[in-house]
Amino acid sequence: MAKGTNDAQLLIQSLRKAYASTPTSLKIIDLYVVYAVATALIQVAYMAMVGSFPFNSFLSGVLSCVGTAVLAVCLRIQVNKDNKEFKDLPPERAFADFVLCNLVLHLVIMNFLG
Amino acid sequence: MATSKVEGSSSLRHAFGGVLSVFILLLIGVVAFSIRLFSVIKYESVIHEFDPYFNYRVTQFLSKNGIYDFWNWFDDRTWYPLGRVIGGTVYPGLTLTAGTMWKLANSLNIPLSVETVCVFTAPIFSAFAAWATYLLTKEVKGPGAGITAAAILAMVPSYISRSVAGSYDNEAVAIFALIFTFYLYIKTLNTGSLFYATLNSFAYFYMVCSWGGYTFIINLIPMHVLLCIVTGRYSSRLYIAYAPLVVLGTLLAALVPVVGFNAVMTSEHFGSFLVFIIIHVVALVYYIKGILTPRLFKVATTLVLTVGIAVCAVVVAILVALVASSPTKGWSGRSLSLLDPTYASKYIPIIASVSEHQPPTWPSYFMDINVLAFLVPAGIVACFLPLSDASSFAVLYLVTSVYFSGVMVRLMLVLAPAACIMSGIALSEAFGVLTRSMKFHITKYFECSHTEAPAKLGESTSTESSAPLENMTKSDTTEKPEVARKEKVARRKQKKEKELTENAHVKPVSAKKEKRPLVLPLEASIVSVFLLIVLGGLYVLHCVWAAAEAYSAPSIVLTSHSHDGLHVFDDFREAYAWLRHNTEVDDKVASWWDYGYQTTAMANRTVIVDNNTWNNTHIATVGTAMSSPEKAAWEIFNSLDVKYVLVVFGGLVGYPSDDINKFLWMVRIGGGVFPHIKEADYLKDGQYRVDAQATHTMLNCLMYKLSYYRFVETDGKGFDRVRRYEIGKKHFKLTHFEEVFTTHHWMVRIYKLKPQKNRIRGKSRKSKLGSKSTSSKSGGMTHKNPWN
Repeated sequence: MAKGTNDAQLLIQSLRKAYASTPTSLKIIDLYVVYAVATALIQVAYMAMVGSFPFNSFLSGVLSCVGTAVLAVCLRIQVNKDNKEFKDLPPERAFADFVLCNLVLHLVIMNFLG
Repeated sequence: MATSKVEGSSSLRHAFGGVLSVFILLLIGVVAFSIRLFSVIKYESVIHEFDPYFNYRVTQFLSKNGIYDFWNWFDDRTWYPLGRVIGGTVYPGLTLTAGTMWKLANSLNIPLSVETVCVFTAPIFSAFAAWATYLLTKEVKGPGAGITAAAILAMVPSYISRSVAGSYDNEAVAIFALIFTFYLYIKTLNTGSLFYATLNSFAYFYMVCSWGGYTFIINLIPMHVLLCIVTGRYSSRLYIAYAPLVVLGTLLAALVPVVGFNAVMTSEHFGSFLVFIIIHVVALVYYIKGILTPRLFKVATTLVLTVGIAVCAVVVAILVALVASSPTKGWSGRSLSLLDPTYASKYIPIIASVSEHQPPTWPSYFMDINVLAFLVPAGIVACFLPLSDASSFAVLYLVTSVYFSGVMVRLMLVLAPAACIMSGIALSEAFGVLTRSMKFHITKYFECSHTEAPAKLGESTSTESSAPLENMTKSDTTEKPEVARKEKVARRKQKKEKELTENAHVKPVSAKKEKRPLVLPLEASIVSVFLLIVLGGLYVLHCVWAAAEAYSAPSIVLTSHSHDGLHVFDDFREAYAWLRHNTEVDDKVASWWDYGYQTTAMANRTVIVDNNTWNNTHIATVGTAMSSPEKAAWEIFNSLDVKYVLVVFGGLVGYPSDDINKFLWMVRIGGGVFPHIKEADYLKDGQYRVDAQATHTMLNCLMYKLSYYRFVETDGKGFDRVRRYEIGKKHFKLTHFEEVFTTHHWMVRIYKLKPQKNRIRGKSRKSKLGSKSTSSKSGGMTHKNPWN
């Protein structure tokens, strides 16, 4: 078991070290993703306390958080320089796609929010 | 110099190819449109069948009153006295599309009527569907396969059957939406662009608006993602193709009122959420694998697995408990009947009674997809050489659609695009191999005639032919003797081709130096190309025949050829026109649910039940009324405020789809809700008959009486041309109904409910008083007829 905890500590340390070497722009995107997911979890907790009526508002709120998280992850994938599949894609194009998708997502959310 | 010249010529060839492709696609669109016009030419520009009349009525309402009234429309002229919320129960895609086209045409001062737009919506969208098939197959295999697949889809009889001019039904636009959604999904998968992912969500939204079959998409795409993950083809493009689609797609699906919260609550969508979670887990795993060393990654996996399995077990237990608590495990009846084909016949007789929901027979496969039936396996093999994400999707699509088409004949329509894609791939690959062989042999022949050095042949020809594929000929031809062994050798050599009946003798391919190009003997190639073209010609012939003879009947007008020419049976419209002009606007008409849509659309009268069949009890009420004796039926109809009863009778002319043939379903459905109607009462020795041997209940039920009233006056003997015997009870009078209209060929008969007598005199009064007291005493018994 001691070996297990040792391994776990070693694992966490190496994870932290590997993560520290990622560029700052990607870390900002990761922070944004964490924020979106946290907001979604807060909304779910609130729904558990207060009840789910009106359901469409709950659904649009949670799905907008999840949606922006997913789109941010897509942006991160496309902007990451280590990703060989997207080395021809200019980051401006990736960001433009990201903005467009977010616009569409939030348009739908506003319609569904009731 | 030489290289630029080669490049110049190849770019010129590409330019020519591009222009030619555009021209061919235009022609394909014209073919797709024209082949569906047979019904307009043979009959008239009229809306067919039953369901299209409802869509037509809704489109009329939309064009007259605008979209807000349409969205909030509550229809009180159907399912009297319940009404129907049209805005919330109809798939709006088709009507909105046609309404938009009508509005556009009229704003450009092209005066098309709503009916014209409705009739020609399906052919226009079938042309679009052919172009979408070109785009999809181009993504899967290449432009050549794309054009072949588009040409095949333009003519495939299965798709024609549901999209002729006049068949104004959901599938007309839904198949286009299906193929287009798949195309955008594959495009996103191939390019990894988020822009196409957004477009994909929009196409999926259009599909949800159009057809209930959208659940096929939202289950097929997660299956494909799962397949890619399991076969080790996970890539970040897969994540970009799938994850935004799930989020945006679910939101957009929830926007359509008919789907609403079902988008997150029914089992049909759970698959997509499950795979959504799975793909995130897989993405995380790959990310961590990328930033850790292998040893540490192994440690991480053991740690995560021990914790993860415990968490997973808890989550799965909760989910299973939630789903198992509902009786159908969260699936709707229609989806369950697809997964378990026997479900409908056991529990939902209405779904089982529709002829479109029966499993297809083997001949219907050859009728509907003809030559494609044996081109498809060749296409599957071609998809594996090489296997890419897109081609694995095509194979998965084909396999699932083959299964579902085997369950329900109506779903042959979903098989049609998959079969066309596969056949297009197969044909294109076959042509590629054959033309390459021909080119190789012809250039070799010319080289031979120019240079005398056969040793050079090896290099020049090997550089000229394309990169070597797995060489199928080398093992066969060099070792085996030259005796032609027709099918066996042919099948092994030409795996990608379909039936080969040529008996070309096998000439051994000349030995090559390093690369061995995949070539076939010249004679074999020429004969094969010729045979493939003949096959294509036969396919076209069959499609045109099927479109002209089998699938162009509007079923509201019937024709028959006899020795003195063409007879036209326009009885349905005659009856609806009579109703429209000779009854009050608020009169209620009762008939079997088949004719509900047509009655509301053409006769403009309120009906009791119609083709939507959403309320089984109401239909069972009408079925019970049709199965009961006159007095009981009159009571039931009077309680529903019915004024007129309509029956369809084919005995005089031999029209087989009349109400007497459907009567047993009325009994079954009625008996399912009201137990005093027992099917055995209407059968004599297990046989359904209406002649002199029929049971007493059968000869006295309302359907029999209304169908055969005064029938004996036509020929003196009462010979029923459909059942082919003389009827049982020939001379009888109707006590509670009076006949008001019978059409020219006796196909539609309309009766009016006689009003109740004002005063009851004598014997009937005493018995009525007596029966009333006895019935009040015995009211607590079970299995009592609720209508007495």
